[in-house]
Amino acid sequence: MNFLISFIVLIPLASAFFMGLLYMYSITRSPIPKGWFTLPALSAPLMSFGISVYFFVRLMEDATPITYRPYMWLSVDTYDVYMGFLADKLSIFMALFITFVGGLIHVYASAYMKDDAGYGKFFAYFNLFLSSMLLLVLADGPLIMFIGWEGVGLCSYLLISFYFEEPLNVVAGNKAFIVNRVGDMGFLIGLALLYFYCGDYGFDYASIEAKMASIPSWVIPMAGVMLFIGAMGKSAQIPLYVWLPDAMAGPTPVSALIHAATMVTAGVYMVTRFSFLYETIPDVGLFIAYIGAFSALFAALIATKQTDIKKILAYSTMSQLGYMFMAVGVGAYSSALFHVFTHAFFKALLFMGAGALIVMLHHEQNIFKMGQMRRFSPVVYVTMLIATLAIAGIPPFSGFFSKDEILLEVFASGHYALWLLGVATAMLSSYYMFRLFFVVFFGKNAHHEDGVHDVSLVMKLPLILLAVGALMSGFLGLPELLGGSHWMGSWLGEWGRRGLHVSHQTEWILIALNILVSLVGIGIAYVKFGQYDLRKMPAMKGVIAHKFYVDEFYDKLFVRPLSHLSEWFAIGVDVNKVDAIVMGLSRGFIRLGRLVAVVQNANVRLYAGVMILGISAMALYLIAIVR
Amino acid sequence: MEIGILSTIIFLPLLVGLLFLVLPFNATWTRNAAFGVSIVIFFLAIYIYMNFQPTGYIQLREYHPWIKSYGIYYSLGIDGFSLIVLMLIATLIPSAYLLLWDNGRPKSYWVSMLFIQAGISGTLFSLDLILFYFFWEAMLLPVFMIIGLFGTGNRVFSTLKVTIYTIMGSLLMFVSILYLGVAFYYEYGVWSFELGDLVQITTLGYETKVMLFLGFMVAFAIKIPLFPFHSWLLETYSNSPTGGVFLLSSIMAKLGAYALVRFMIPLFPDLFVEFSPYFVSLGIFGLVYFGIAAISQHNIKKMFAYSSASHLGFITAGIFSLNAHGMMGSAFLIVAHAMATGGLFLLQGVMERNLGIRSLDGLGGIAKKAPVFTLFFGIMVLCTVGIPGTNGFVAELLIVLGLFKYNPFAGIVAAVTVLVAASYMFLLFQKAILVRTDNDVSTMVDLQWKEILGLLPLTILIIGMGFYPDYFLYKVEPTIQHYLLDILHVGGR
Repeated sequence: MNFLISFIVLIPLASAFFMGLLYMYSITRSPIPKGWFTLPALSAPLMSFGISVYFFVRLMEDATPITYRPYMWLSVDTYDVYMGFLADKLSIFMALFITFVGGLIHVYASAYMKDDAGYGKFFAYFNLFLSSMLLLVLADGPLIMFIGWEGVGLCSYLLISFYFEEPLNVVAGNKAFIVNRVGDMGFLIGLALLYFYCGDYGFDYASIEAKMASIPSWVIPMAGVMLFIGAMGKSAQIPLYVWLPDAMAGPTPVSALIHAATMVTAGVYMVTRFSFLYETIPDVGLFIAYIGAFSALFAALIATKQTDIKKILAYSTMSQLGYMFMAVGVGAYSSALFHVFTHAFFKALLFMGAGALIVMLHHEQNIFKMGQMRRFSPVVYVTMLIATLAIAGIPPFSGFFSKDEILLEVFASGHYALWLLGVATAMLSSYYMFRLFFVVFFGKNAHHEDGVHDVSLVMKLPLILLAVGALMSGFLGLPELLGGSHWMGSWLGEWGRRGLHVSHQTEWILIALNILVSLVGIGIAYVKFGQYDLRKMPAMKGVIAHKFYVDEFYDKLFVRPLSHLSEWFAIGVDVNKVDAIVMGLSRGFIRLGRLVAVVQNANVRLYAGVMILGISAMALYLIAIVR
Repeated sequence: MEIGILSTIIFLPLLVGLLFLVLPFNATWTRNAAFGVSIVIFFLAIYIYMNFQPTGYIQLREYHPWIKSYGIYYSLGIDGFSLIVLMLIATLIPSAYLLLWDNGRPKSYWVSMLFIQAGISGTLFSLDLILFYFFWEAMLLPVFMIIGLFGTGNRVFSTLKVTIYTIMGSLLMFVSILYLGVAFYYEYGVWSFELGDLVQITTLGYETKVMLFLGFMVAFAIKIPLFPFHSWLLETYSNSPTGGVFLLSSIMAKLGAYALVRFMIPLFPDLFVEFSPYFVSLGIFGLVYFGIAAISQHNIKKMFAYSSASHLGFITAGIFSLNAHGMMGSAFLIVAHAMATGGLFLLQGVMERNLGIRSLDGLGGIAKKAPVFTLFFGIMVLCTVGIPGTNGFVAELLIVLGLFKYNPFAGIVAAVTVLVAASYMFLLFQKAILVRTDNDVSTMVDLQWKEILGLLPLTILIIGMGFYPDYFLYKVEPTIQHYLLDILHVGGR
């Protein structure tokens, strides 16, 4: 039954293909009822989830990784790359939460998009994305992973520029794609290095790991850094994060699924998957951890001044991803995955709650134009509260356990500067999240022009289920200190938890400290925004509100010079130099021709003479060879 | 005398073309006949593919005396590399007919197309250098006719320019061929221009060989084109009618790269290895240079012209990487890029037919008006950009890997390829196709079934070759290994 692994990927792919054709038919021939799309759209993640559960159960009984290799993908010399799928604890863990959260977002989207003309197209892309993401995590080697890796980037592009008639959306899509590709360039270089030093006779993770010892020592850190550059792009870390805030141009379920819960965690997954490589290069690991820590802090700072609800959440995603990279950087893979897991619930929930608010307010995204929203939809209010508490790290909500664990691991690793950055970010996180929460749900003197109606049950149901997840998922990693057994950490096996070298006393102090900084953050938010009067808008001034001018800086540094260079190449070099020389040569020939034209003087006798000379020469030549 | 299958592929279109030229058939009949011929050739090619043995050696030899006293033979044959280009041509040309179907061109246009197909096939199969030269030149004449007669803008000037340009290059090659023939005669006492004979020449001095090598190289570099021999490209492409630019970009340019492998490697193996650093650098430079130049183009055809040059630079770099990865990647990119660029030029032709000639800024909003068109256009764009799941990705990956093996630094620079095409192609897709503008595109008509039928084989191959590349590569690999191990004496591993 091993072939079923491929079905986890193939079912959404088939569904996407089918819906794509159906959609093309519906817009070119005759319209098709939306129901025709809903069934394949929603059943695909459900079926993939079911199969993932099947493999999960199998792995519970026997932890041996299951592989399935249908065919040889590429074979040059003795470098064989199979189209291979791998179900081990890590990949099935990822597949489970991707299909589960993905499925819920599908349900939500079926209501969110119900009046959209592009309903069918939306779900075709959505399932294509799901398929690529699942290929990314279920691939048994980095090359096949790269297919999924780029596939999710493509789907992200397609979905960001979903409303492609608006230039800004397409620009945002292009930006996402190209910035991601900058990262992919690094990934490709890392891949090529690994390929040549250990791709002989098999290029799957297991063979790479087996051949680690024979690789020249310079290759491993180089490959490690290069692969991580790919992760910087996909997971929106400094300096390749600039696409993520703009990616919010896509419909809100897209932000929830792709730009919060799943795709952006691909980088974390990749580093975890290559843990055997990164464990041998702790210096690179530390570099990753610092990139993560600075990204976390940087994003949290920007988030404190944003007004667009989705952008706040986008920066918060980047910030939380920073935590995950801090964890993988210090080698705490299971803690990172734990945070990936809890984050998927509460961040998807936050986005979907935001989406509900946006729908209720007829596509208003500025939080300072919301206010008093608790009155209109109690469900959205309560679920958003749960998610906000979870991300702020208040016990017993899930974010508390995972964030606490990461900070503990970082502390235990002895990199206190890193730990301090993490704690500072934690305070900022609870501050900006409750700033959002207070303004949106409590802001006074809100002015809502049209009627505000609560969203439908189909949209609320996933919110409730995710809220349960945001509340409960933390208990899967309940630390030993609090009487748990950290089920997740032990289940993940080789990526699981190592022994910690801190005393219980220190652990208690750290927990208390984490809760304290979160409460301080909430307190500041309450003081500043608890009773906020929405008639005065906050001024968008200062470096932080302008996002540290990074976009402007990149524009000056890369975008403009490139377009100038392009013009210089096309006009300055090609037309004015290369072609000018060519045309100059031909003019030279014409002048030469005029000189030679002296012989062309209509003197028939001269012509005849030359002809005779030519013919005799030819005749002589012929005689010479025939002889 | 038995007529071989390769000869059939060459002479069927030639004879049908001549027949329709003299007989009083109208344009419609001529076009239908030309399409029929291309379909017949398509099936012949499939037959060849199925029966082709994946070995490194020349198959389907045909060998007849032509001008015996000078040892000029009508000598044909194919290896794995030719096979893949043959399959490419056989698939692309029927597609082109289907997309050019209703362009209202006169009979001479379709007859020229037939002659071009004959010339291309002849160039592809020739093993005698004089025969090769003959077809190399012969295939150009009808292309120039098409550009000169049916082009736009300053078409006569651009025809003249490209003609003189390529003839200059060809002449240098011709001189080199003659020199080789004479050298063979002096050494062995008989005349021959057969490739298999000429490679046995041992008397040439180093300087002479370099001169001859460069003589060939200039001809191929102009056809490909490599920097700085590209200045004919832009005007010619932008003034050509769709059919002409399609043939130039997706077939003829590739024949330049093909000839590089087929003739340069056996004739000058040591120089090929010695000069490889220059051509790898030149290729990668072309990739980046043309790619950047493409960004600021407002004329779609000019942008595609730069795009073609950029990819062909990459193909050249792969060919000179002297290992199986790079060369197989180049073979694959020849196919992938021909399909994507061919498809794009044909689609641009559809756009031009519906909307007239417009710059990038005069378009926009096509996606809403013509979704099927946009879908195919999008797939071709993705293939050009090299998205995994398309054959463009496999090709670029292999070339990057090959260059890595050649020299890690070259590989790192070459990895920039993932950015180059994306930077201009997505811009084009945004401006011309997706975004709504004030421009009136109401006359745009979506693709009809004939056009869809034409693009479908390309699309299926683009995706099929992306998901199962090995199936398409295993017939080529022995040929590549043969070039590498037996001729260049560089280990494929």
